[in-house]
Amino acid sequence: MDMRTRNPFPADYHDYINTDEGWVDRRIFWEEEIYQQELEKIFARSWQFIAHDSQIPNPGDFVTTYMGEDGVIGSRDKNGQVRVFLNSCPHRGNKVCFADSGNAKRFTCNYHGWAFGNDGSLLGIHNEHIYEGYINKADWGLREARVSNYKGLIFANFDSEAPDLETWLGDYRWYLDMLLDNEEGGIEFLPGTIKSYVNANWKFGVENFIGDSLHAMWNHDSGAKAMMGGQSFPPAEQEGSYHGSANGHGWEFATDSVADIAILGQPEVIEYYESIRPKMRERLGEMRAKIFGSLASAAMFPNISFLPGLGTFRVWLPRGPRKMELRVWTIVNKNMPDHIKQMVNKGTMLTFSPGGTLEMDDGENWEGNTQTNKGTLTRQGKLHYGCGSTSRIDHPEIPGIVHQGQYNDANQLAFYQRWADLMNADDWDDVPQRNEPRFAGKPTR
Amino acid sequence: MSATAQTITPNLGKPSLELINDVQQFLYREARLQDAQAYRDWLDMLTEDIHYWMPAREQRYRANPMEPDITHAAYYNDNYANLETRVSRTETGTCWSEDPATRSAHVVTNIEVELSDNPDEYRVYSLVAVYRNMNEDEEHTLYGHREDILRCVDGELKLAKRKITIDQNIFLSKSLNVYL
Repeated sequence: MDMRTRNPFPADYHDYINTDEGWVDRRIFWEEEIYQQELEKIFARSWQFIAHDSQIPNPGDFVTTYMGEDGVIGSRDKNGQVRVFLNSCPHRGNKVCFADSGNAKRFTCNYHGWAFGNDGSLLGIHNEHIYEGYINKADWGLREARVSNYKGLIFANFDSEAPDLETWLGDYRWYLDMLLDNEEGGIEFLPGTIKSYVNANWKFGVENFIGDSLHAMWNHDSGAKAMMGGQSFPPAEQEGSYHGSANGHGWEFATDSVADIAILGQPEVIEYYESIRPKMRERLGEMRAKIFGSLASAAMFPNISFLPGLGTFRVWLPRGPRKMELRVWTIVNKNMPDHIKQMVNKGTMLTFSPGGTLEMDDGENWEGNTQTNKGTLTRQGKLHYGCGSTSRIDHPEIPGIVHQGQYNDANQLAFYQRWADLMNADDWDDVPQRNEPRFAGKPTR
Repeated sequence: MSATAQTITPNLGKPSLELINDVQQFLYREARLQDAQAYRDWLDMLTEDIHYWMPAREQRYRANPMEPDITHAAYYNDNYANLETRVSRTETGTCWSEDPATRSAHVVTNIEVELSDNPDEYRVYSLVAVYRNMNEDEEHTLYGHREDILRCVDGELKLAKRKITIDQNIFLSKSLNVYL
């Protein structure tokens, strides 16, 4: 008997999650049908990370990446404006760029020599005279996305109806400022990208960073001991620690300022942040100065994650329902002395790269989480996401949906709720606003 | 940075067969210790000023190459203490992903030995192929082009510097739990 006859795919994606009972249906991590819907309803409509300004500082600089499974080029045109377009020739469809990054005035298709400018326009065609009277070149440029920038992070979106980036981020800007704007000058990305495949559903990477601090103490005990001279993580403390989220973007955190940075195993990096802490307090206020650098992890819907203070920044690019490409960079404050930047660089590579003392344990889990669902009976089960289900609070300073205690499933469920909201919605008016933004139309710093 | 092992000036003299043999034996022993996961014994084969480096790859057009740089992203950019940190993780008793243990076979080949102006330091090129089998049935094969500096310390060869260039642009596996 067909699986679907016995256990039909719900039409309402909210039926795959239950925020009251605290569970998630395993099929969202396995089924091809659901994955195809994710590509259409989430990745074709969401603001996604393309690059940081510091990675493509000059006219002609470009990177290639993916939005969903659509290959894109992010390029700074001759006027300094960043443009993002599909990496596929509108003639027969081949890629027009085969490099990860570089500097180019044009992207020329290998097949028939169609050449596109770094603004995406069709500049010329090999033996163009043959086409005379048959093509209006202005109509045949590379399909272009909307591009927007928040404090150096470049995002793109192919949906002309989607809300603007500021609305998309909402009150999460209050959180994001701790990463991007904790010091004058902001941040920069260090050169080079580590790219790797993990045979896991992309959402497991996101949900791990958005809220799963609990796994660190058990799963990463060996990594913590290696990095911190034999010490384990401190005991779980729910007082003074929180889950915060807005629009599906989340940040779980304590308020003791230093724990995450300590995992780098580079004491001078802690000293650096302590030296700028008084100014950070003036810049971001007491609460955010206490949050930055504490035991924390964060993710932005749909597929960006980072560890603030520790300095790893990554995207989880979907490669089918059971595989993802992980791209990892190191971010540092631009005004850091060079030798401190290099300590962060060494620390992130030692901890959160494929050979990292912490990362090596994560990939194993997520592959197991995903691949066990090959089993028909296994896949029929639910997964428990009920930790902290009654811990929601209102906090006078912390915006968004806030839960007391960083050992919690709250941010994960908020992420899956946003996921279901977008999976269901045919247009943006159907997408519910789950928290009343405090900072609508207002700067968060 | 930790790159204290300096680059060496090649000497056009021919290495003796005895030296070539000693280098080969050194590399084979190192491979055997890796496969046996005898990591403390492996650490003993390194100089205290080791620089162990495996840069990230970036696929670029020939017109604008990007040379590997020790300030860029890397799988390894380690000094002795960093390598010891990695090894200590596997000794904690809580390294869940290494229990059951990974199985590996290091195959070392294409060994070339060059003399240098320093009579105690040699540049050694080699190719390492690492077959890895883990969990139920997972396979991964990695090739590393190695450029080493071996140093003779108190009559014994030690590894003073290693640069590993891998061919994979996207690292095709979730973890790098073997040394190349």
